[in-house]
Amino acid sequence: MIELQNIFPEIFLTLSLLLLLIAGVFLKNSFSLIKKITIILLLICIPLVYVNYDNQILIFNNNYSINNFSNLLKIIILISSAFSLIFTGQYLKRLKIEKFEYMILILCSTLGMFVMVSTNNLIGLYLGIELQSLSLYVLSSIDRNSLKSSESGVKYFVLGALSSGLFLYGCSLIYGFTGSTNYLIINENFTVENIGLIFGLVFVIVGLAFKVSAVPFHMWTPDVYEGSPTAVTAFFALAPKVAGMGAFIQILFVAFGGAFAEWKTIIIFISVASMILGSVAAIGQTNIKRLMAYSSIGHMGYGLAGLATGSLSGISATLSYIFIYVVMNIAAFTSILFFSRDKKYCEDIRDLGGLSKNHPVVAVCFCIILFSLAGIPPLAGFFAKFYIFKSVIESEMYILAVIGLLSSVISAFYYLRIIKIMYFDTEQEKFDDISGLGMKFSLFSSSFLILFYFINPSFLVNITEIASKVFN
Amino acid sequence: MLAHALVFYLFSFIAISSSLAVISSKNTVHAVFFLILDFVSISCLFIMMGAEYLGMLTLIVYVGAVAVLFLFVVMMLNVNFKDLRTGFLSYLPFGLLIGIVIIIELGMMIGTWKYKDSFIKTSEIQISSKVSNTEALGNVLYTDFIHYFQISGIILLVAMIGAILLTFRQKENLKRQDITKQVSRERDDGVLLEEVESFKGVKLND
Repeated sequence: MIELQNIFPEIFLTLSLLLLLIAGVFLKNSFSLIKKITIILLLICIPLVYVNYDNQILIFNNNYSINNFSNLLKIIILISSAFSLIFTGQYLKRLKIEKFEYMILILCSTLGMFVMVSTNNLIGLYLGIELQSLSLYVLSSIDRNSLKSSESGVKYFVLGALSSGLFLYGCSLIYGFTGSTNYLIINENFTVENIGLIFGLVFVIVGLAFKVSAVPFHMWTPDVYEGSPTAVTAFFALAPKVAGMGAFIQILFVAFGGAFAEWKTIIIFISVASMILGSVAAIGQTNIKRLMAYSSIGHMGYGLAGLATGSLSGISATLSYIFIYVVMNIAAFTSILFFSRDKKYCEDIRDLGGLSKNHPVVAVCFCIILFSLAGIPPLAGFFAKFYIFKSVIESEMYILAVIGLLSSVISAFYYLRIIKIMYFDTEQEKFDDISGLGMKFSLFSSSFLILFYFINPSFLVNITEIASKVFN
Repeated sequence: MLAHALVFYLFSFIAISSSLAVISSKNTVHAVFFLILDFVSISCLFIMMGAEYLGMLTLIVYVGAVAVLFLFVVMMLNVNFKDLRTGFLSYLPFGLLIGIVIIIELGMMIGTWKYKDSFIKTSEIQISSKVSNTEALGNVLYTDFIHYFQISGIILLVAMIGAILLTFRQKENLKRQDITKQVSRERDDGVLLEEVESFKGVKLND
């Protein structure tokens, strides 16, 4: 008998999305109500995950694992989904995309991410990825009046289908050679000498690299980020990255743990390429959403650098990095949603001129966020990079560390340029005042966390270390 | 056995020639019909191999749903396919080059790959002859694979929500028939009697 209380969060999410769907159909103009209920439900789900936090079990014939690692990622995913709703209500109303399906799709996507980080089977991983990204395709083209939004939806859909195809091809090879889709059995039957298996491994990595937008599979990211409504872009930058990284760690360390030497070089290459491209390509960008897209590519590169060490400290560094990345992106996108004049949203970074005089508080917050994204001490972003480089150097991969540091210096340029525009460039008109409570809350709470992270850094480190011990 | 072989070659021949006809026929409606023929003959081949469930599924899903939907779309869209073909000759050399490269690569893969040792042999897979394919699938689909089954259901739900969300437009100022409203209409709602003085006219309040 399967102990169903272990997948209670998943069941809870499924039931709540079905009930909200019915409620949304029957209640007219229920956007705000359903948004509030969804946020509350997502926040209720956090204690539900936390109740079984220290359980370590495999259910559904070893195909679904509940442990510290998956629970930690689930909590991060819930936080980022909830926040991506908290700070975007006003934006969606102004753009007239007040559709209750928006929340339903976010819930579906969250459910898919839960499956992605918890599953112990290639079929489950594929289904999780599809559930997650199918909702994202629809979300990115939700603004039907905008040509760019539709374009980004189609682009994302076509490229996502391509990456799913590559991923499935790799899965079929692995299944053919190991005789199972279960991670544990794959690990038992994995023989490094078998070229077919290595082929499958490469294709699976390609499929997943696509989902976390790592170079050279990043082409869709800037266009999709720019075209989608900013609220959706914020969601793209938060939860799917967490889930993608979680699935990456799970499959690399559980299923392909024996082939470390084989995938190490691939991950190092992807990581180095993402770090360099993320920092160099963002220099020429003037659209802040495109800039954030390249920034997220670069950040994924740093996250993958932790994985390339193959050590437990590397995993825990990556987990800390992801958490801090999520906090920084919540803050950054809240600020971006603040930049509106007469209810028109500005995306050009030159529009930020004189922000320090017109809105000193927001300017200071945004300044902290950008310094943190650039990795300047004593802000949270610095610690995130510090953990990664520490574990990379412990594994004696000095070249990777040097490249990471150099690209971090290059990327500091474009973050600092925005600060320069805010503080020293010619003054532009005032922006609208923040009216939404949700935006204020998420901007100040996340900036606060970034600013005062250094007081008790061991809290996060301990949690991620415990989570990484799962792969021992 | 001879009959079996004959039928196999017959169906294979139909499958291959109709799939060639799909890409070579000038009329798109004909192409879709050839596609249906292709699917039917492939499902016959499946049934001959003993995979009756797969054969039936091909018939129901591909012929019954996908191909018929294709047919509707092709008939309704009225795309000028002659314009689409104009670039055919200019793309031909490049397409052929890529095709040849892929064929060479595939040949090299199959030639150098000693797959015979590492693939799991079909004789090693234990198949009970007592249960049919459909029963075997049903046995695991609702027990061992129940959570995949449920997740697939949610995926289909998302597809439905997405399709409705992206295409449905609420029409405003639409006049709908409301029978209770019509029946409950009284004489006083529609008729107004007014004494009109000559050369004065009358003002009506709307």
